[in-house]
Amino acid sequence: MTDSIIRTAQPPLSRSWRGLAAGALSALSGVALLATSAYLITRAAEQPPILYLSIAIVSVRLFSLTRAVFRYLERLLSHDAAFRQLATVRTTLYRRLVRVAPAGLGRTSRGDLLSRVVSDVDALQDLPLRVVQPLVISGLSALAAVVAVLVFSPAAGVVLLAGLVIAFGVGCLVATVLARRSERDLAGLRGDLSAAILDTVQNLDVLVAFDAVDAQLQRMTDLDSRLRTVALTRASTSGVVTALIALVSGATVLGAIAAAAPTVGHGLLGPELALVALVPLAVFEVVGAVPVAVLAWRKVRASAARVDTAAPAEVPAGVVLDDDSDDAAAPEPLGLGGPGAVALRLSGVAATWPGAGVPALPGLDLEVAVGERIVVEGPSGAGKSTLASVLVRFVDYSGSYEIGGVDARSVRPADARATVGLLEQTPYVFDENVRQNLLFARDTSTDAELEAVLARVGLGEWLESRGGLDARPGERGALISGGQAQRLALARALLRGFPVLVLDEPAAGVDPDLADALLADLLRAAEADGTTVVLISHVPVPSALVTRRLRLVGGRFA
Amino acid sequence: MKPLDPRLLRYARSVRGFLGLGAVLGVVQTIATVAFAFFVSRAVVSVVDGHADRLPGYLVGIGITVVVRSVLIWGLESLATRTAVRVKSELRGQVVDAVVRRGGGWVAKTGSARLATLTGPGLDALDDYFAKYVPQLILTALATPILVVVMFSQDLLSGIIVVVTLPLIPVFMVLIGWTTRSAQARQWDRLAKLASSFLDAVSGLSTLKVFGRERRQVRRIGDITDEYRRETMKVLQVSFLSGFALEMAASLSVAIVAVTIGIRLVEGSMLLPLGLFLLLLTPEAYLPLRQVGAHFHAAADGVAAAEEVFAVLEEPNGGRAVPAPPASSAVPSAGSAVGAVGLEVRGLSVAYEGRSVFDGVDLDVPIGEITAIAGPSGVGKSSLVAALLGTVEFDGTVRWAGAASGAPSPADVAWSGQRPGLMRGTVASNVALGAALDRDAVRAALDTAAGSDVDLDAVIDAGGAGLSGGQAQRVALARAIYRVRQLGARLLLVDEPTSALDSETELLLVAGLRSVAASGVAVLVVTHRPAVAAAADRVLTLTSAGLVEQGRTAGVSA
Repeated sequence: MTDSIIRTAQPPLSRSWRGLAAGALSALSGVALLATSAYLITRAAEQPPILYLSIAIVSVRLFSLTRAVFRYLERLLSHDAAFRQLATVRTTLYRRLVRVAPAGLGRTSRGDLLSRVVSDVDALQDLPLRVVQPLVISGLSALAAVVAVLVFSPAAGVVLLAGLVIAFGVGCLVATVLARRSERDLAGLRGDLSAAILDTVQNLDVLVAFDAVDAQLQRMTDLDSRLRTVALTRASTSGVVTALIALVSGATVLGAIAAAAPTVGHGLLGPELALVALVPLAVFEVVGAVPVAVLAWRKVRASAARVDTAAPAEVPAGVVLDDDSDDAAAPEPLGLGGPGAVALRLSGVAATWPGAGVPALPGLDLEVAVGERIVVEGPSGAGKSTLASVLVRFVDYSGSYEIGGVDARSVRPADARATVGLLEQTPYVFDENVRQNLLFARDTSTDAELEAVLARVGLGEWLESRGGLDARPGERGALISGGQAQRLALARALLRGFPVLVLDEPAAGVDPDLADALLADLLRAAEADGTTVVLISHVPVPSALVTRRLRLVGGRFA
Repeated sequence: MKPLDPRLLRYARSVRGFLGLGAVLGVVQTIATVAFAFFVSRAVVSVVDGHADRLPGYLVGIGITVVVRSVLIWGLESLATRTAVRVKSELRGQVVDAVVRRGGGWVAKTGSARLATLTGPGLDALDDYFAKYVPQLILTALATPILVVVMFSQDLLSGIIVVVTLPLIPVFMVLIGWTTRSAQARQWDRLAKLASSFLDAVSGLSTLKVFGRERRQVRRIGDITDEYRRETMKVLQVSFLSGFALEMAASLSVAIVAVTIGIRLVEGSMLLPLGLFLLLLTPEAYLPLRQVGAHFHAAADGVAAAEEVFAVLEEPNGGRAVPAPPASSAVPSAGSAVGAVGLEVRGLSVAYEGRSVFDGVDLDVPIGEITAIAGPSGVGKSSLVAALLGTVEFDGTVRWAGAASGAPSPADVAWSGQRPGLMRGTVASNVALGAALDRDAVRAALDTAAGSDVDLDAVIDAGGAGLSGGQAQRVALARAIYRVRQLGARLLLVDEPTSALDSETELLLVAGLRSVAASGVAVLVVTHRPAVAAAADRVLTLTSAGLVEQGRTAGVSA
């Protein structure tokens, strides 16, 4: 459904017409400037009284001003319209992402791919600015020029029309063919080379230790020279489009003069011949924008396709959809009862990761009582992460899953999530200060409460060394380690006070010799709050920290 | 921004030839432009004056100049594209050489992602710089003066008009550029924050969903994008002024030239052929400069990419060069007795940026045994391994197999680090890094490293993507074991081999390490996991003051 994305990207005419009108006026002024100048000079040569020339003189001056002024207005108005549309594009696509995230995003949920989606969404701005705007404006000015020339000399008008059609057609066609060929021949080699460079740069220590530096350098040299050979061959076709348009433009001027010349003195005046001869020159300057727009269109379409893959309109089975409206009521946790009551009950729960053929959980029974802290261990691929995603209603299930005795399917996914919280494997740290990174979990908290909760998760000293809650953890948490990010995320979860908390491999991204201390701190803090805990871990967890251990192998408890 | 960085000539030799040949093409192209204007004006005048018999000759002239000009346009642009290909390849090669020469420590300091982007997609910014900007720069430097001289030689007044208005363009652009820069600098932080907030909301989507805050973001994205539009438009209003000044100067001077010529034609002080000729030449004099302005942004990206490359190439050598490890003095005798000291370390100290990491470490690693190193986080266990590998500077002596003079040569050592460091290819090609590929031996090495479940032909993408953390860890260990078995390395250094493994797989891997040790290899393993330490013959704890022996454990003796 790339089309629907592309439709979203183009501002409605009510928003875009000002920019288009200004652009057309500017382009027409440019053509008219050269035409009236030519007319003025040729007419002046006939030495009429200067009064007869005053209209031409005023027009020349006027058009020289309007060309620049309308061009400036065009750029402002079209950018303003495109930015206004960007707000619509972003919110529309964000709603689509929200609906299916994270399970429905598939591989896109990886951070680097998501940032790619964001730049693709923003690249859709090029549709109004670099595709529609130049195409509409060059089309309009071409049309106006053809009509103007037709009035004076039908023969020259036909030549101009033919020249423009050829230039449009050949320009678009050749530009498309060349772009496609260069993508086909070069994209793969470029990808291979940049992958090889990334490998070399990141693994230099390994290459040195294994005496493989020279072999790797040789590989890169080979790739580079293959890429260079192909790219040099391709390079000979660059400039072909510009040259072709220059050729057609010159030929049209030639043809227009030849076609109009016989009629001079028979209905066509000398000054009008000058106009007929020079208008094509000016209008072809505008046509030069067409092949560029064609290339921009290819890029916009590719971006739209990538956005479509990331947030598909047709969601794979197994994704829990959030269809709440923007102003739905805030999520409310469900009541679970006192200690010992059954918090979570799963019987015969089967789940398949969206897009996967084989169920990761073929049928699982589990009961977790309020106040329990259980650990689910097992090798990778045993279905542990799927279990976590089922518990927080990211991935759908078959069988029965009750939260506090209520069928999980009968409540809004957001309410289920308010009851069963998740500490993600790689929690996201927002590019805001520490306070903002905590406040969104409970926005009524005071600074004192925030500092207290940070101290509880072992970040007290860190906070002090960073200079308090106004410190920024850096873009994407660049300035804090994996363990500190986990602690920060736990602080958020404690602030929110989830009755049940699922911890998904909290030690996975942490230095091995810090992992034990981190696990102990996380579980003790949760215990002090009376939170029911389901800890998912493939590394062994000390027994003292948990009340029950379960081992998941091949989607079943062993 | 300098229009053309002289360092480009120094680092990329292809640029010189391009500038020379480009200048020749540019001059010929300008002559063709002048000839085209001449023939068009004569053709029109011949018809107007009733000398239609001369028309065919002029039309032929037009035809020839059109063809010549188109060919030259193509020639210059494809030459420019070929240059871009060559320059990218030359710069890329130099950056890769610098990376290899300066080593892993420098890469870590510079940022591996930055280097990889720089040499990959970053350099592609040079495509447009060379293909679009530099040719116009050449034309500005050559065509504009030639056209001005031609105009002067034909008509003093028109020449003066052009000479007076032309310099106004760069002056205005510089003035406006300054104003814009301060406006942008004022708003830079604000704009950057507004631009990144959409990325933040998308990247943190699953965290926002956990906390039920995703819906609130929809309106916020709309608001922030709108604010982004308002702030950006403020900057654009100023920065588009430079384009406005350019267009205005160009079209105003066409108007002034046309009107002054018209008046002189009426007075009879000028003849029509000259008037038309001058009118056609005037816009051509401004065209290259206008094009330079139009491609300014493409150029700025290219210059920024080139400057980034130069910054990397000219950086002082990133601190210390890595000392070349002394050549191995002796191949360890094949019959080194199990239990004999393989590696002998005395008084080893490592300092990092003037700060002592550890001091006075004495260590013996016997052949046929597993020696485990434990210790708290940050005490320098990995630095100890790096010293033994010879990748950091150290004081003290490291001797291998009792040889009189030497530390182990790279050929003696097999290593697997904390980070798996796998590269694009298959599992088999990764395991056989730096050695000939023998599939049976690869399979055997994987089995020893508890990787029986890993497929030899599984594809690994750049950065090690495609395997789970635990699989990657075992493939990395298999790679070291392969080096032991195929190339006869007798010292195996392993850093946290089981941090991502569940306890059963860990036991298998430890058994594999024992069998490697038993084959006559000295194994040193850094670990915090009790199961690994339990299987070692000796466990030593590293402190800042040196190594403390915890005593011989009940390791299985070989």
